[in-house]
Amino acid sequence: MMNDPFARIRPWFSGASLLWPVLGLLTLLVFNAIYAPGFFRLELRDGHLYGTLVDILNQGSKVMLLAIGMTLIIATGGVDLSVGSLMAIAGAVAAVLVTQAALPFAAIVGTTLALTAIAGTANGLLVAAVGIQPIIATLILMVAGRGIAMLITDGQIITFEHAPLVFVGNGHLFALPFTVTLVLLTLGVTSLATRKTAIGLFLESVGDNEKAARYCGINTTLVKVVVYAFSGLCAGVAGLIATSNIKAADSSRVGEMMELDAIFAVVVGGTALTGGRFTLVGSIVGALLIQTLTTTMYNLGVPPAVAPVPKAIVIVAVCLLQSEKFRQQITSWFGRRQA
Amino acid sequence: MKFSTRSQNLPLYATMLVLLALFSVASLRYEGFFSTRVVANLFSDNASLGIAAVGMTFVILAGGIDLSVGAVLAFTTIFTATLVQNHNVSPFVALPLALAIGTSFGTGMGFLIQRYELPPFLVTLGGMFFARGVAFVISQESVGITNATYDKVLEFGVPLGAEASLSATALAFIVFLIAGAVLAHFTRFGRNVFALGGNENSARLMGLPVGATKISVYAISGFCSALAGVVSTFYKGSGNPADGVGFELDVIASVVIGGTLLTGGVGTMAGTLTGVLIFGTIQTVLNFDGRLNSSWLRIAMGGLLLLFILLQRFLSRHTAAVR
Amino acid sequence: MNTRSFLTKLGATSIAIASFTVASLISLHAADKKLTVGFAQVGAESAWRTAETESIKSEASKRGVNLKFSDAQGKQENQIKAVRAFIAQGVDAIILAPVVETGWEPVLREARRAKIPVVLVDRGIKTADESLFATLIASDFVAEGRMAAEWLAKKTGGKASIIELQGTPGAAPAIDRKKGFEAGIKAHHEMKIIASQSGDFRRSGGKEVTEALLKGSGASVTAVYAHNDDMALGAIQALEEAGKKPGTDVIVLSIDGVKGAFEAMVAAKLNCTVECNPLLGPMAFDAVEKALKGEKLPKKTVVQDRVFDSNSAAAELPNRRY
Repeated sequence: MMNDPFARIRPWFSGASLLWPVLGLLTLLVFNAIYAPGFFRLELRDGHLYGTLVDILNQGSKVMLLAIGMTLIIATGGVDLSVGSLMAIAGAVAAVLVTQAALPFAAIVGTTLALTAIAGTANGLLVAAVGIQPIIATLILMVAGRGIAMLITDGQIITFEHAPLVFVGNGHLFALPFTVTLVLLTLGVTSLATRKTAIGLFLESVGDNEKAARYCGINTTLVKVVVYAFSGLCAGVAGLIATSNIKAADSSRVGEMMELDAIFAVVVGGTALTGGRFTLVGSIVGALLIQTLTTTMYNLGVPPAVAPVPKAIVIVAVCLLQSEKFRQQITSWFGRRQA
Repeated sequence: MKFSTRSQNLPLYATMLVLLALFSVASLRYEGFFSTRVVANLFSDNASLGIAAVGMTFVILAGGIDLSVGAVLAFTTIFTATLVQNHNVSPFVALPLALAIGTSFGTGMGFLIQRYELPPFLVTLGGMFFARGVAFVISQESVGITNATYDKVLEFGVPLGAEASLSATALAFIVFLIAGAVLAHFTRFGRNVFALGGNENSARLMGLPVGATKISVYAISGFCSALAGVVSTFYKGSGNPADGVGFELDVIASVVIGGTLLTGGVGTMAGTLTGVLIFGTIQTVLNFDGRLNSSWLRIAMGGLLLLFILLQRFLSRHTAAVR
Repeated sequence: MNTRSFLTKLGATSIAIASFTVASLISLHAADKKLTVGFAQVGAESAWRTAETESIKSEASKRGVNLKFSDAQGKQENQIKAVRAFIAQGVDAIILAPVVETGWEPVLREARRAKIPVVLVDRGIKTADESLFATLIASDFVAEGRMAAEWLAKKTGGKASIIELQGTPGAAPAIDRKKGFEAGIKAHHEMKIIASQSGDFRRSGGKEVTEALLKGSGASVTAVYAHNDDMALGAIQALEEAGKKPGTDVIVLSIDGVKGAFEAMVAAKLNCTVECNPLLGPMAFDAVEKALKGEKLPKKTVVQDRVFDSNSAAAELPNRRY
């Protein structure tokens, strides 16, 4: 189209859907550049980068990881509310193991992630084999999982000084927080698996039309169980990061309401809740958007009780940006003015 | 709510049976559970939840979702409480005003969703943040209401036996549930909602007013959330900007437990009532038991939900198989 | 319509109704003579809260009281439901830790009609009718905030740039501890709150907010005041990562007095905590027993809160059970 000002750069964003969340994020960054001095200041301290942008990457890593798992689930037409509680379970298990068992760290991480993956599998079985609606199937574990985590820590906050576990959420690699590496690794592996093999196609076909997918010979039950298990795994890693970051397992509070952030990130990134086509990078951008928004509120000194209002306005604005109808309307207004 | 035994109603009957079984077992186990007081409490304690669920049922039937209900409820409670208590506005002015704001807010969200084809999840999430923030702008602290009209409503009750009575809030719930059921199942509008949720394109091709219907369901949900807030001010005699956090999930869960499909087009108002009552009964059972600690309470809540959903699945499948 | 399916349904329904009726008969059996007390707790959101629950539970078992426990997960509606379930069960007394200060009159009137005394713990309610509850046993959150401010004024000679970490918006302790602190620093013109954000009473919130503020509006900080210990412990980590020494470069003070705070004070990373005593079990059950005997109780018993700083922390640490 001739009157599309973004026609040239559009291919860079793998289709139109990614352009708008990126634009939303950039707008927010520009806003910060003007109103929050020091936002872009980066310095090298003890061999690693230090600054607000680094914090956003580090703090945003939890939602980014959750969003990767959530994207695949949403692609199949499902949703996972249990991720916050699974984070709590992961944190509780890891903290109890490092404080009370003399196991090698790899075994501790392995056990933790295996448990959350199993919990995710249970979600998947309820959805795919029993046929319960995803929102209710995962609500069960959202409620009960929090209780399980609290049971593991006996309702207490368990603190630890275990060096390898502390490294997960506080360490640095390649001058950046280690969490960035974790996110990039997960993203890379997931992208390769979904784009270079048929898995991605399976996911989208299940989300588009489950019956048709089954008739094509796709084992839709297996596909669904696998994505819920994978989301459990991602939640496990996010839980390890959250717990490591504060060197404590806060099982009654960690990951609270984070499922909404993760779903938000996925949807704002351009994957529809109805399933089908998905974009992992879009979800990452969505997660960065929500973290930047939170940090912006801190920087501007917006009173915390009132902060939801500007947050709401940004959410709706990004939505409107994505709406083709809205853009057409704006273009026609400008067109009229010129004529 | 036609009481035919068509197969599409089987999940509804199964859900009702599960509720009855739950209530029976609890009555066997706990002294004082089987009483009109517990039943009356079930309706008045869950009036806000139920009224919001009526609105949510319309939204979900139409294939949408509304995350703003808890925040709109909170806004309504603090808005009316502040007007009545701090500005001496008559409740007869404040309440209609609050309901009008809630309805317009829902209409606004519906408009954005319909006109610009935006995802309902994001728009209503924005609505949730907005309403919550505005509630805190009105007042950061909860406000108690001391008002003659409020006292009269609070004291009102239809006596049920010696010690129980059906409160005004419970009556409001029942009346709105019936109104919702009539609107959903016996009107042209209701049929349009089902058609829209079943398949939007077909509904459009059939010449149904898709746009107007879509906006209307969010307007109804906004109205119901505001009404749930109004009922909450009567129930507690106060308004609180921090009320109803996570309320939207309870509402959605009740509707979906009642057999309404999140994908739209399938569900009943009777199912929603059953879902709300199952939710409330599970809580009452746990409160009556009173032996579990915080961790086990959460596990038991999840476990009971799982049990009843599996039972409901099994019953509706089994009865279908017998046919 | 299919006859067999109808029969199945009819059968299932009649079984359910039958069990329903039997249930009603059996549930009328007599109760034992043990005292039954319902405890409507807010939730299990912090170490402080868990300590309070533990205190009430252990005191109940010590006195041979049958305790009914309910956890409202932070929601007032759930707490009201619990109180009403307790009333329907005919408990002898109710202990209530109200999640907010308003909205209790209808349910407390119901308790009064059922002649069940209600003892309020850890925070008061706003009501014109004080006969609705037997007594209130609580700390004064405003006083806690003021005590923190006074300690800081003394420590710094009335000169400080403060980052305030607020609790959850709308929560009574957050509102009152903010009010008390602001009142306490009013007399000192060189004590200023340079940034104030909510850490949601969480350790992670305390860390994330401090981390962000240190790079922006809070860069010139000399003191961090947190509405609870958990957030202060998070802030300490953020200060350390920013290359500052908490406890020396930046004064850190908070409220609650949980064990973790005492450990941090012994390690010289936290400077001060104002105790908010959660061990209310003995006092609460004393009140319950007196109320049941018909004795007159004072309407309010304020729990005396103490200020601990690094000097007194080491001696107190072994006594901390929570």
